[in-house]
Amino acid sequence: MATRASVERLPYGIGRWSAGWVAVTGLSLAVLALGVFAFARQLIEGEVVTGLRNIGTMGGATWGLYVAFIVYFGGVSFAGITIAAMIRLLNLKHLRPISRMALVLAVISIILAALSVLIDLGQPFRALINLPLYGRPMSPFFGTFSVVISGYLFAGLVYLYLDGRRDAAICAERSEGVRQTFYRLWAAGYRGTPAERERHQRATFWLAIAILPLLVIATSTLGFVFGLQVGRPGWFGALQAPGFVILAGVSGVGHIIVLAAILRRVLGAEDQLNPHVFQWLGNLLMILTATYLYFWAAEWVTTSYAGHHHEVALSNALLTGEYAWLFWLSVGSLLVPFLLLARQFVTGQYRLGVMVVSGVLVNVAAIGKRILIVIPSQTHGTLLPYGTGSYSPTWVEYSVVLGLLALGALLLTLFMRVFPIVEIPQYAEGG
Amino acid sequence: MPRYGMVVDLDRCTGCRACMQACKVENNTPRGSFFMHVFRFETGEYPNTRISFMPRPCMHCDNAPCVKVCPVGARYKRADGLVATDFDRCIGCRYCEVACPYGVNYFNWKSPNKNYYLNWEDPELIQITKGGRVPYSNPDLENRYGKEQRRIAGGGHLKGVMEKCTFCVQRVEKGLQPACVNTCPTFALRFGDLDDPNSDVSLLLRQKQHFRLLEEVGTKPRVFYTGSQHPPGGDVRQIEEVQGRV
Repeated sequence: MATRASVERLPYGIGRWSAGWVAVTGLSLAVLALGVFAFARQLIEGEVVTGLRNIGTMGGATWGLYVAFIVYFGGVSFAGITIAAMIRLLNLKHLRPISRMALVLAVISIILAALSVLIDLGQPFRALINLPLYGRPMSPFFGTFSVVISGYLFAGLVYLYLDGRRDAAICAERSEGVRQTFYRLWAAGYRGTPAERERHQRATFWLAIAILPLLVIATSTLGFVFGLQVGRPGWFGALQAPGFVILAGVSGVGHIIVLAAILRRVLGAEDQLNPHVFQWLGNLLMILTATYLYFWAAEWVTTSYAGHHHEVALSNALLTGEYAWLFWLSVGSLLVPFLLLARQFVTGQYRLGVMVVSGVLVNVAAIGKRILIVIPSQTHGTLLPYGTGSYSPTWVEYSVVLGLLALGALLLTLFMRVFPIVEIPQYAEGG
Repeated sequence: MPRYGMVVDLDRCTGCRACMQACKVENNTPRGSFFMHVFRFETGEYPNTRISFMPRPCMHCDNAPCVKVCPVGARYKRADGLVATDFDRCIGCRYCEVACPYGVNYFNWKSPNKNYYLNWEDPELIQITKGGRVPYSNPDLENRYGKEQRRIAGGGHLKGVMEKCTFCVQRVEKGLQPACVNTCPTFALRFGDLDDPNSDVSLLLRQKQHFRLLEEVGTKPRVFYTGSQHPPGGDVRQIEEVQGRV
């Protein structure tokens, strides 16, 4: 069959079925179905099915796991686009193979962040109309759905589109039928002439310059959602916005390391995703982790030395109280990767396994830290003498979050089936 | 245009919580929702303990953090000083609640109809109510108020939106006092125009020393406390907490 023959000429198993692909996709679909079911319960019954309750007399937290994951997904997205933009700006040629997966990760994450926002709302359908109609720029939350979600999605998609034109043109040559039409549309007449390449380089360069500051501002607005609230101990502070930017970098780079390691194995792309790439990512992660640990320590010293008694009470709940297990788990999950990566840096012996473990651990820390930012300030941070509150997520919240992660995996596998997620190497061009 | 405010005389408050009851009846609030809440505090160690009470309505702040953060302008400040929530516009993000240092916001976690103290769908109860609406449902709460003509009164409207004390806007606009003030048996709660030098509240504020809650966070509350006590410190313990769970 001509079609089969042409499909086999496409790189990285695009358009082909494999047992692994079916298994991952099937599992993702199953978990996604669980998430959809749980969310349906929430829509019908109201958010009473979650563990969220009012602050104060009800002794709960009104923002919980969903909000922590809005911040988490937003952060991963930020890091994805930033890395792709940095690769272009600094002209890091050997890192080009991770550029596209970083962009795909960014686009998927921001879709998940947008969904998390809607899922958290009491009236999600009303919000779709009222946010565009009555949105107030004076609200710190405005940044979340304007610059963050729309901005990242736009920047990510445009960048992904431009970045993919060359590969789309190559794929169009090797395929036929509907598939070819799709690649041709993406390639939009790209031929790979020197003039075209030059124009493309210039466009992506200026795009990268334009979006980098936008991204930093956007992630800062996520930090300001918390940092500008004077009435919540643990939130109010100037370090909140830069802290969000750095932690976003930590979780995003961790994600890319893990994803690149998986793809290296699955796609057999050892040449492109070579030790140099991982070495660079590992060193970047080491610097970001160290920076965040420094921020964290500075914050802790300030609070415990000179904090208001509400701040000190909150700090005690974190260090030795109800949240101590998560606090120390998160600290450890940053400290251990930092030490592992620093050892690699000093000895010069880089191991893929160590970097993957670090990538996973920093994401545990990133999720843990977001939960520690969002929740204790509500349950243990009331300024009036209400009793201490508590919050534990229900099966609905866990299922919805798992469903979102599954949706992310599903979108990733779907993308991998239609488009090369790693740039087609130069020598393969035309052949 | 009047500038409404409330004065709470802590020396007079006996902690009877009649204001909380009146508020519930007037505003139709579901279970777990306390637009007016009265703290009962204990300080000191036995046998040298002391009991004190502190009513906590919404502070209707002049620099309201909840108004500042609302992403859609559902929470707004009226010209007469009342901080109102337009439940037709609220999207239920609960940002106002995390921004408020006083903990006065109540979200409808489930449909209010399923969240009253009695189950109105109980067959035994239907024999008495003849299948009618919740008997104490206040029709004034559905009306539009103020020059903005927005629906802002009372509670128990629909699930997934925020509600809070409105200073009983439906009564104030008719020239009546808020339900809590009207009910208080010891005249511990006073309500009126702060700009009118002869109003109850202005007279009290001139005669007595007063403080406002959490003045240090800069919210400029419209609720003033008079009486011998100072704002509750870190040493108070809450006793007889309300059953807040939904």
